[in-house]
Amino acid sequence: MPTLLQKLFGKRAVGNGSARDCSTAAEQCWASAEFDLAQIRLIVYQDCEKRGRQVLFDSTAIHKLDTSEPTADETKTPPNRSGACHISSQADDKDKPPSYQYTRPASDVNMIGEMMFGSVSMSYKGSTLKIHHIRSPPQLMVSKVFSTRFGSSTSGSTNTLQDSFESMSQTFPSHTSSIGVCRVRSAPLLCLARSASFFAAHSNPVDMPSRGHSEDGDSGIARSASLSSLLATPLPSPGSSFSSGLSSSYQRRWLRSQATSLQHGPMPRWNTEEMFSLSDESCSSNPAMIQRKKIAISIIISLPEREEENHNFQEFFFSHFPLFESHMNKLKTAIERAMIVCRRIAESSQRVQVYLCRVMEALGEFRMTVWNLYMAPRISEPVWLSMISQSTERNLLCQRFLKEMSLLMEHGAKSQFLAALLTAVLTHHLAWVSTVMPSSLPPIKSACQKPASQTVDLLAKSHPYNPLWAQLGDLYGALGSPVRVCRTVVVGRRRELVQRVLYVLSYFIRCSDLQEHVQPQGQMDNPASPCTSQTTDPTPEKTCTPKPDPLKPTACVIGTSEKALNSDLGNATPGTSVEQNHEILLTDTNSTSPSPSLESTAVRPEFTEMGQECFGEDSDSVGGGLEHILANQSPLLHRVQFHIGSPSETANDGQAEGLTGAGCERGLDRKLHQRLLSDIWRKESSDSALGDSDDEETSPRELYGATEQKEYELPLPSCQVESRASVNHFGHSLLGGYCPQYMPDFALHGISSDLRLKQCLMADLEHTVLHPALDEPVAEALCIVADTDRLSVQVVTSQRRVCEGGRLGRDVMVSNLVHTLITSVLQLFALNIASDFCVMHLEDRLQEVYFKSRSLAEYLRGQTRVHVKELGLALGIESSDIPLLAAVASTHSPYVAQILL
Amino acid sequence: MNALVALCHFCELHGPRTLFCTEAVHPPSPSPPQPGSAIPGDRDREADREGEGLTMRANSSATQRADMCEGCRSLPASHPGFVSVDSETGIRYLSHQHPRQPQLFSVVRQACVRSLSCEVCPGREGPIFFGDEQHGFVFSHTFFIKDSLARGFQRWYSIVVVAMDRIYLINSWPFLLRHLRQTIQSLQDTALKVFDNEQCVCPQRAVRMNSAFSPAVFPHQRSGNAARSLTSLTQHSNLWASLHSSFSWLLKACGSRLTEKLLEGAPTEDTLVLIERQTEQEEEMSGWDCAEGGGSNPQPSQSESVQPKDFQFDDGRQEDLLGPKFKSLRHLRQVLGANDFRQLAWHVLMGNQVIWRGADPGLIQSAFNVLKALLPVGCVRAVSYSPHYEEAYRCNFLGLSPDVPIPAHVSSSEFSMLVDVLNVERGCVNPVSDDDILSLYQFNISSANTQPTDKGPTLLNKIEVALSNENLSVEVVSLCLLCLKEEWMNKVKVLFKFSKVDGRGKEDTQKVLACA
Repeated sequence: MPTLLQKLFGKRAVGNGSARDCSTAAEQCWASAEFDLAQIRLIVYQDCEKRGRQVLFDSTAIHKLDTSEPTADETKTPPNRSGACHISSQADDKDKPPSYQYTRPASDVNMIGEMMFGSVSMSYKGSTLKIHHIRSPPQLMVSKVFSTRFGSSTSGSTNTLQDSFESMSQTFPSHTSSIGVCRVRSAPLLCLARSASFFAAHSNPVDMPSRGHSEDGDSGIARSASLSSLLATPLPSPGSSFSSGLSSSYQRRWLRSQATSLQHGPMPRWNTEEMFSLSDESCSSNPAMIQRKKIAISIIISLPEREEENHNFQEFFFSHFPLFESHMNKLKTAIERAMIVCRRIAESSQRVQVYLCRVMEALGEFRMTVWNLYMAPRISEPVWLSMISQSTERNLLCQRFLKEMSLLMEHGAKSQFLAALLTAVLTHHLAWVSTVMPSSLPPIKSACQKPASQTVDLLAKSHPYNPLWAQLGDLYGALGSPVRVCRTVVVGRRRELVQRVLYVLSYFIRCSDLQEHVQPQGQMDNPASPCTSQTTDPTPEKTCTPKPDPLKPTACVIGTSEKALNSDLGNATPGTSVEQNHEILLTDTNSTSPSPSLESTAVRPEFTEMGQECFGEDSDSVGGGLEHILANQSPLLHRVQFHIGSPSETANDGQAEGLTGAGCERGLDRKLHQRLLSDIWRKESSDSALGDSDDEETSPRELYGATEQKEYELPLPSCQVESRASVNHFGHSLLGGYCPQYMPDFALHGISSDLRLKQCLMADLEHTVLHPALDEPVAEALCIVADTDRLSVQVVTSQRRVCEGGRLGRDVMVSNLVHTLITSVLQLFALNIASDFCVMHLEDRLQEVYFKSRSLAEYLRGQTRVHVKELGLALGIESSDIPLLAAVASTHSPYVAQILL
Repeated sequence: MNALVALCHFCELHGPRTLFCTEAVHPPSPSPPQPGSAIPGDRDREADREGEGLTMRANSSATQRADMCEGCRSLPASHPGFVSVDSETGIRYLSHQHPRQPQLFSVVRQACVRSLSCEVCPGREGPIFFGDEQHGFVFSHTFFIKDSLARGFQRWYSIVVVAMDRIYLINSWPFLLRHLRQTIQSLQDTALKVFDNEQCVCPQRAVRMNSAFSPAVFPHQRSGNAARSLTSLTQHSNLWASLHSSFSWLLKACGSRLTEKLLEGAPTEDTLVLIERQTEQEEEMSGWDCAEGGGSNPQPSQSESVQPKDFQFDDGRQEDLLGPKFKSLRHLRQVLGANDFRQLAWHVLMGNQVIWRGADPGLIQSAFNVLKALLPVGCVRAVSYSPHYEEAYRCNFLGLSPDVPIPAHVSSSEFSMLVDVLNVERGCVNPVSDDDILSLYQFNISSANTQPTDKGPTLLNKIEVALSNENLSVEVVSLCLLCLKEEWMNKVKVLFKFSKVDGRGKEDTQKVLACA
């Protein structure tokens, strides 16, 4: 990295920032090695109850029958690195489709079939995902196993492709189905996601799809909707705090950690019931005849031989898996269609040809996308991320950024190209909002540096979520409500110009920076090895930390921590001490209760666990406040609170609940920290739900017997970590450079011609809505297309609206706020004001936009319909700014979208 | 990481069994939902589980206890398990033979069965990922452990990592693989040594060759010691405690492998000023503490968030004072009338000294409190009620009792204004209500200022628009004010930087002002 920087800035000094330096240095190749298209193999398998397993497709068994060209040229010769990976067949196809020969599948298909379906078939009806690592030859295999689904109509052979499309476009009107998708009950999902209330805190209750009519017992869709809408906490009201409002970035992360929490048990989410659609006439006419059939699709990627390349590719693959998966879904859809289409062809050899042709084409597309994803050039120094990570180079970065922006401003001055582009980018790539929301904490470093969010940091530690996922959402701007995802493509023949635009935009399209913490190589005494101290000597040897002998509980002294409960138990044997403790509590609080009975013994584990949770760590995280409150309250009341309705306490809960519950609530409601309160509430409710259900509920506990005790506490092993900048993260990989070809994944990239963009964009956007790589429901997918040749900026949406004559999307209305913002910053820069001050001013102005959105949101609160004119008069908001302000407002006040739509 | 780790074993007699399971219990959320909204779906999930989960559990609980051999067991039934606490985050790592959270029991069981008897791994040893939304997602690594007494001289195990976050788990594949391999390697190496030792003492191959071989009775031949525990295979009496430590560490390290650096905006100017003041106060306090031995109210620590609202009142006395008060700028404007209010606000914004003279300190203080909102916090210096005149450099808001004379240089200055609050002569009738200030008082405004106050500044015009629009709630108005103030502060910053720091000419300054 330093060498690259030196190169970059060394050049800058000499060339004085001529346009060339940004074009030559701003791009880097991602991959360390060549990647061959033939490394990707596709296998489609069918598993039928009666007929057993059948290979439906194996790309290694397919040969192109084309005498004029060498066989399968598009797969054998890798495109060179700078050149595009084109599918040559695309253009030729129209004239003469290639014909293929299907030969005997490779010898490993049986084994692969076993791996895909497993040795025992699962009864689960949704789709299953699997990843295998094959050691030799080194390969990675990703499989998706689907249950099959036949055409929804019972009209047998008339159930054509056309029909299924028509029925589909009725379900989701805005998706004219060029894609044959099948997802059970996806209609309600889409409605939900599209309604602005999906993540709304203040929304009215949403009509949930009814449950229980499915054999699986639940619809994941309904679950997900209720989860999200209920979990969304209202932001602090503006009156209470202007400065410490939680950003939607925080909200998203928190929701994610909750939605994916194990503590809530398995919660099937929104895409559970994806199936493989077969419009098989013979079966669909008679439901009784339907055989249980599964179809599995596998992508097998041969790994590079060299260790380092292998390692790099795997790191890339696993960190970018959501993108790979999204493309696999696209491939699946194509295969689905190929099967449906070819069934309608009577002549069998022709049928096979059509099928092979279509699948090969889809595979070609998949290979190309993956190749491009891995190999395409990236912006080597995205402005925002570089500013975050390199504080020493900050001045130079600011200077360069402003210079490039000035040049760009000059270039498109007449058409307001830059203002239009930034309006669109700021409206849709919303991650910048949380980076200007005022912090309530004192600045740690110099005034021009922004503070890192400590709330998010704390959240990440206590409730780990996936930072990669968070970053992906940031880049796509998925922070508003309803959730929209956006990409930006810059088109133009002048490479330098396009690269300049990309460079400037890399300041406004923001995301968090990722750090990786790894264990240094060759570290002794790795905590991952349970037997380290033993490897030399088979007889057990005590390590330096005192470890209790698990076989002799009475002999052990508990714990190294200094919790009140623990130290109480310190000298006595754990069993008796807990029991005493417990007896006292029971008799004190519930005078009618008999001496400890069998039931009360069974309560013990819950009680001690929860009690500890409350008195131990909780007070750590809540701080002094909680301890103070607890001290003022009768501790007994609190303790009792925890076993109300706890699972096994069925004998005396009636009285206890009546007595203690009321007392507690009265005392707690008023004083106790909200945080604690809601947690107790949650515990109570889940526990009483357990208590209500039948007796079997307690059975797992019986496994431990009645002699349950508190766990032995052991110290948590720690080990040295080295922190380094993460390489394989989306902030680097999704900010593309000037690419040879349009890419569907990149949050930002440039291309020379929009030919392929025009071909693919609508389908890509629709696909994004149906299979978002973001792994959460998405209401709308957008693409900003900036044309540097024509100096036009358009926004294309998956919700296809009428567009005049052959245009892709709508022109962007320039926001006056954005216009004055750019003008003012660049004017300051032109007056030779220090560049870091100019950048700071830019941030201040962005913050003003945020404040304006707060007043807009507050104004709209409680309203149903608002005239734009009124906004102008009342708040001084111009109509050109409303789309921007509404989008920004929707990140902190989800109801805004509903009112202004 | 939001996951659990379990060691599973394919028992020769009993099939796939979960041996040991480490789960992470997270502290209550730092940002909980409002009380009243529970983590949804809890109840539904209970119902949901009845299908598969419970039957599976019922079977297992009924049969498992009777059906357990040494090989299927990790901790003895009487063992309470292990716990490790991460004191920094409050996350507790709990280890037992089976997960303690009942809803996870069937999840782990499913993962165990799939890992050892459904999914196929080439070579039988190695990593697989599998899963679905209903049963959770699993990263599994299968491996053999040498056992001189087992069929084929080895036993089959797997370590599974179960999570609901599919993407997170897949992203962590390289990390998990690297570290689980170490764990497995360490177990295998240890067991191999034990195996070698045992083979030296009593070569099993020979024993088996000599004994009459009958497949039907084979597994039961070695009665009494039908399946050996992993502890015995590794001769490691602390094995489970060590595994607990390894698994806990793995969960922690995997969850903190990647961290985000997410920036927030700079604090507002007001917040900065308040923080500064607070720091100063604290320093003073600590000074006094040394001198007087403490006893004063503890100041909130600096790390606590500062809310500008708290500082809009210099002291809490306002609450104690009875009588009518101004509630908001809009209220003040209604009482004074648009013209007088405009004059008053103009002087406030211009930084002139505003003097209120009257008998009701509470009323005056409330007037200052609402007027302060017009200015950045740093520009407010108020003396809310004084028995004598204070100079303008000491305060820009000054309250005086009715009989205090205003010095001539002040009353003749265009940089000050005076509001006299006079009691309305109405006898001693009880006030109709506190709200009706005009029924009690009359306000006389005087200033030597000759400049017109009805033209500018733009800021004031904008403020008046907001105040006069009755459709805007008080909250909206205060947010508008915040916007306007920030806007002007940003202009000021530019101007300051430009004129003071860099020292430029007038012409350029005009340019800057035009664009800022």
